[in-house]
Amino acid sequence: MRERSLALCILLLFLALCFAFFAPNFGSLNNLLEIVRSATELGLLSLAMTLLMQAGALDLSVGAVMGLTAVMLGACLPAGLPLALLAALTTATVCGTANGLLVARLRIPPLLATLATMALFRGIAEGSTRGYAVFTELPAAFLFCGQGYLLHVPAQLPLLVLASIGAFLLAHRTPFGRRLTALGNSPTAARYMGIDVARHQFTAHVLTGLSAGIAGILYTAHLGQAKADAGTGYELAAITVVVLGGTSLTGGKATIIGTLLALFCLATLQNGLLLAGLPSELGLILQGALLLLAVGIGRNHSTALSTTALPTDLRPFKMKNSQVLVLAAAILIAAAIIAFTNLALVRAIGGAAPALSPAHRVTVALMPKNKSDPYFASCQAGAQAAAAELDIDLIWDGPNDTDAARQNEIVEAWITKGVDVIGVSVESEAAISTVLRKARARGIKVLTFDADAAADARDFFVNQATEQAIAQALTDDAARILGGKGTFAILSASVTAANQNAWLKHIQLRLAEKWPELKLATTRYSDGLRDKAMAETNKLLRAFPDVQLVMVLAAAAVPGAAEAIKQAGSKVKLIGLSVPSLCRDYVHEGIIESITLWNTVDLGYLTVHTANAAARGLLKKGATTLNAGRMGTMTVQGDQVLLGAPFRFTKDNIDQFKF
Amino acid sequence: MLSLRKIDKAFGAVRALTGVDLHLQPGCVHALVGENGAGKSTLLNILSGAIAADAGSIMLDGAECVGLTPRRAQALGIAIVHQQPALLHELTVAENLLFGSDGAVISWPARRARARELLLQVGADLDPDAIAASLPLPDQQLLQLARALRTKPRILVLDEPTAVLPSAASQRLLALVRDLRARGTAVLYVSHRLEELQQFADQVTVLRDGHSVFCGNMAEVTTKDLIRHMVGRTLAADTAHPSHATDKEVLSIEQLSNSDRSLHSITLSLHAGEILGLAGLVGAGRTQLAECLFGLGAIDAGSIRLNGKPFAPRSPADAIARGVVLVPEDRRRHGVIPAMSLASNFTLPHLNEFARHGLLDTRAETDAAEQAVSAFAVRAASVQEPIQTLSGGNQQKVVLSRSLRNRPTVLLLDEPTQGIDVGARQEIHAHIKSQAAAGCAVLLISSDLAELFLLADRIAVFQRGTVVGIVVRRSSSPEQVMSMCLQPATGQT
Amino acid sequence: MTQTRALLLVITCLLLTLAIWAPEFFAPGNLQILALSHLPLLIAATAMTLLITAGQIDVAIGAEVALCAVVAGIAARAGLPIPIWIGAALLTGVLIGFAHGMLVTKLRIPALVTTLATLAILRGVLRLATGGVWIQQLPASFQWCGLGQAAGQLIYMAIAAAVCTLVFLVMRQTKVGREVFATGCDPETARLLGARPERVVPGVFIASGLLAGLAALLDQTRLPSVAIEAGTGLELAAIACVVLGGASIRGGRGSVGGTALGVLFFAAISGLVFLHVDPVWERAIQGAILLIAIAREARPKLHKAASGHA
Repeated sequence: MRERSLALCILLLFLALCFAFFAPNFGSLNNLLEIVRSATELGLLSLAMTLLMQAGALDLSVGAVMGLTAVMLGACLPAGLPLALLAALTTATVCGTANGLLVARLRIPPLLATLATMALFRGIAEGSTRGYAVFTELPAAFLFCGQGYLLHVPAQLPLLVLASIGAFLLAHRTPFGRRLTALGNSPTAARYMGIDVARHQFTAHVLTGLSAGIAGILYTAHLGQAKADAGTGYELAAITVVVLGGTSLTGGKATIIGTLLALFCLATLQNGLLLAGLPSELGLILQGALLLLAVGIGRNHSTALSTTALPTDLRPFKMKNSQVLVLAAAILIAAAIIAFTNLALVRAIGGAAPALSPAHRVTVALMPKNKSDPYFASCQAGAQAAAAELDIDLIWDGPNDTDAARQNEIVEAWITKGVDVIGVSVESEAAISTVLRKARARGIKVLTFDADAAADARDFFVNQATEQAIAQALTDDAARILGGKGTFAILSASVTAANQNAWLKHIQLRLAEKWPELKLATTRYSDGLRDKAMAETNKLLRAFPDVQLVMVLAAAAVPGAAEAIKQAGSKVKLIGLSVPSLCRDYVHEGIIESITLWNTVDLGYLTVHTANAAARGLLKKGATTLNAGRMGTMTVQGDQVLLGAPFRFTKDNIDQFKF
Repeated sequence: MLSLRKIDKAFGAVRALTGVDLHLQPGCVHALVGENGAGKSTLLNILSGAIAADAGSIMLDGAECVGLTPRRAQALGIAIVHQQPALLHELTVAENLLFGSDGAVISWPARRARARELLLQVGADLDPDAIAASLPLPDQQLLQLARALRTKPRILVLDEPTAVLPSAASQRLLALVRDLRARGTAVLYVSHRLEELQQFADQVTVLRDGHSVFCGNMAEVTTKDLIRHMVGRTLAADTAHPSHATDKEVLSIEQLSNSDRSLHSITLSLHAGEILGLAGLVGAGRTQLAECLFGLGAIDAGSIRLNGKPFAPRSPADAIARGVVLVPEDRRRHGVIPAMSLASNFTLPHLNEFARHGLLDTRAETDAAEQAVSAFAVRAASVQEPIQTLSGGNQQKVVLSRSLRNRPTVLLLDEPTQGIDVGARQEIHAHIKSQAAAGCAVLLISSDLAELFLLADRIAVFQRGTVVGIVVRRSSSPEQVMSMCLQPATGQT
Repeated sequence: MTQTRALLLVITCLLLTLAIWAPEFFAPGNLQILALSHLPLLIAATAMTLLITAGQIDVAIGAEVALCAVVAGIAARAGLPIPIWIGAALLTGVLIGFAHGMLVTKLRIPALVTTLATLAILRGVLRLATGGVWIQQLPASFQWCGLGQAAGQLIYMAIAAAVCTLVFLVMRQTKVGREVFATGCDPETARLLGARPERVVPGVFIASGLLAGLAALLDQTRLPSVAIEAGTGLELAAIACVVLGGASIRGGRGSVGGTALGVLFFAAISGLVFLHVDPVWERAIQGAILLIAIAREARPKLHKAASGHA
């Protein structure tokens, strides 16, 4: 364990040095404090998870507990903040208690028990709110906990410090922690030594639940919205941190120091890459390399093959030459990756220090909602074309999954980095507006595109079409195809997807208002994945045989649904919101009736032109036109740059569009 | 036939073996003795190919064996029965027995049949489909023995085979060994039971601190000589323990039964200062009784009174709080947590005593552990070392010292000296005696009748979950007790 | 084996409920589609059974499926013949498995850490290399590997069934298979008994890599293009199936039969849509049913239950 901590220390130093050298403003105190802020929720989870793994258990439901806590907090806020906090913490404790009972009393393996409660807790959070944000007008005092500063220090910092000290003492310095270690090593022997195994396991689970609850509350305060998707994916992140720190998955060996070091290694890596303007996928790759390196270097004497304790004389420790070689190679490769990317960066910026170039190059940072969505991939193509035309630097980065918290984190990093323009396709208006205002206060021009933030949080909004217009276009299209009456079903993205939920609302309004004879049979969810959309459509076709039309609300899901309908040989009509390139063949085959969308390439293109104009002072408040390269002169209405109405792609026109 | 010459082995800075020689001959039982930690296990591991020697040679039939692995050792006809059962715990008896023996494709019915046959050879009546982990220790030992014999080895290595076996099974095992010797097998026999070795070993090698200090014919040495070679000094003879029993009844058990009938209608009483021995075959219910008293088993009927008050512990914590402590039989699984330090193992049941303002006082823990280490003469490099680095005897001393720390009212000992060398055994006996002298009531479970007759004031004989008789040591003999253990139960309670 | 019996009971209840309230669930067309869409999970879970039984784990299996599919797609787009790109996908799986095996045995990095790392690396590399753009414009023969839809569906099911049966038989009836169990119980003891954990561990990783390649083919060739996000969530689902099927996460215990039951369980609860359950509550209900299924195997006695893992 010592070796691992040492290895992590070295890696942390190495990362810090690299970034201090190559990433602008990485070394500033403010940035270091922001790293801490962004790591707080994950830190709380990881600390609790360390204790749990010390006892040989595991909790996969921590992320779901965060979601449920956030929802409960939001739902109870009208009754006052103290009561809401109490309700939230009670919920978290109840969740922890449920896990504890399942594991300690019913003797269900923790992995299995918490796998089930993970689905249960998240499911309850989603079901009870139907995926919509519960409450976004959070009181300022509460938001302060997540966004404010205490004497220049993020408000979360004291809490994280306290939690770390508490966890350290609990794990390493109290009878409780010692007993957890004992039962993690051998529950049977622990019992023979008079340790109440069930009670200790139970307590550890309750503590973890409570800790996840606090993380959920902080997350809500940090983000400014209470929604069922809070903490999605945090369970795996927490496990990664704990394992990287050197805690053994099989129990009996835990290190809080290691967990903290690992936490800061990963947080530093992500922050540094953002500041260096490197893509976040590289962060994933380096995170993987870091895991292998830290464990490879700081590896202890036990063999990886063995999970049981054996007499030491049976497992002689030998470091063969080949192993040293592989290790050295791994280190070299990692170093090469970093060196190479830095070189690329230096070249891209044209000299590491911006001060060297007399003509200041404009740097525009744009963020999609979800980088792996084909919709945004085509936006990116347009944005890059415009950036090349205008000879400006473009950073295109964002979450790899819709994740409002990650959007905030990235904007924070861009502020620290000091870009000229930030453009965001907003996932959650409530969540991002504060940080965008902060960017404006620092003199950075702020745009939104695709989806808007609060009006005072940005300078301009590149508006392609309103939620209402899209919903109406889709509904009217469905009505036209079905002749004004009939039954249809909707395949949305995830239960908590903000855009889709807004569209759903407007679709229902439109139905009530204009198409009373059009019946919505069901709304199902594809999580925006093609393969899941295919499976869901398959079920939909058979479980709802009277459905005549399926409306798909996620770009990647449309081809999946189309394939299902095609394979089933079904006559069900399909319309949706997608990009032409994914759907061209299906449109020609007549499987897809029509897809509705604006020109997404143009959206990216126009956004970069707007950004450039704003940065160079060519676009000011009150302007009515904007010159946008190949697109010609575009209309500006107040603080909105208009792209035009949504467009219907059909068999007849789809081949004209090459995106 | 097999010669080990000038074997050296070191683990880090610790020299486990230095220039050890060992020569085995066909049709000959060779005894290997030495105190725990003398290097016997290391030597066996080298012989089995589990670890490689740093220097020296292994010659088989005049040819040198280089790069010995467990597979190669097996192929060469070397079979080993380890002291700690080396079993695949999640798998069945049949699988453990026949692992890797029946070609590339496996027929399960054939396996079961063959398993039954092999088990009968060693006198074990086990279900071939039982999971190995569910077997009691002696059955696991027999299973290992059956596995070793399956390969029809030319060289059979037995590491403390009788340590956990009840007398009858031990006798059968010794008969088996004699039979093998007659058929020309070379047997290397490691044991602490010197009397047993005297009966049938032909040659003997004594290891002390990693050196082979003596090698010769068994007929030419006395037990006393052997002990002198082993410990490097002369031990005082173990003398019978004078009774300290008082009239004060500490523990009274009335008509105790449990739900699965592994215990029924047990009536016993235990007095302060008394050592009550429990004799019986393995599976007779002695361990179950101790576990019941320690809060590990459910009581179905009957009552237990401790110092006159009803006593029904629901957990070991309960029992410990009432002053009842247990030194368990399976040390490695129940007695210690191998990966944790000696000090942690020592303080685990007493952690609250070392907490100040809720935090552990590690200084006090270390002090307490060091005190215990010196009081019980535990040989350990440091109390911060994992306890698994200690020899079995030293581990057991730690367990005992931990159990005695708070002056228990009742001390339950389950095979306390099993697999432990002579020196440590005498020391443990001394501690048991002094506890009794100080007024502690001791319940001593042992399959070693000599031990019972050395220590116990009275001996209760168990058979099939109940007490078939209680004898007073002074007016009885080991033979009488043995016959009581074996006689068929005829409604006698 | 009471665990599998409990699981069987819950599955029967689920199917009975469906039979009463939603008989259309049992329409042949639906069952076939349902089976077909669970083939990748079945194959991945079979691979995971091998790994977990040997005391290992692979949380990167979803990412491996994605990579294998992308490789197959790129090869197919380059105009290579069918056997070649099928081979390329399988070989990719084998290579990843080999790398895992080496990291675990040579560098002695625990399997969980190794595969957590490769999970991050593989997903990162895939996104970086493709920019999230799917592999499209594939030759028509990519879909169903050129077998056509009707024959393809049947052959895919036959292949999956055959592979599962093969793994089942190998694990149960052969010396190599039993070495997997022995290694999972305790590699040191296994070695003493003549097994070769240092070969078994890379072996199961390579086999599971091969199976991941197969899962990728069975999954992505159902469509005419390859999505970069293929296999998302597959790892957790596969682990759930294996553990639900009675395997011990500590190794040494597991069976393909139990795992198949686990997959059947997940297929059955996906039938909730036929009961017209409100979709936003579906996840909660699935969680609750899973909870019931595992609570049935609750073991009340502590020291008996724990004694196997000393």
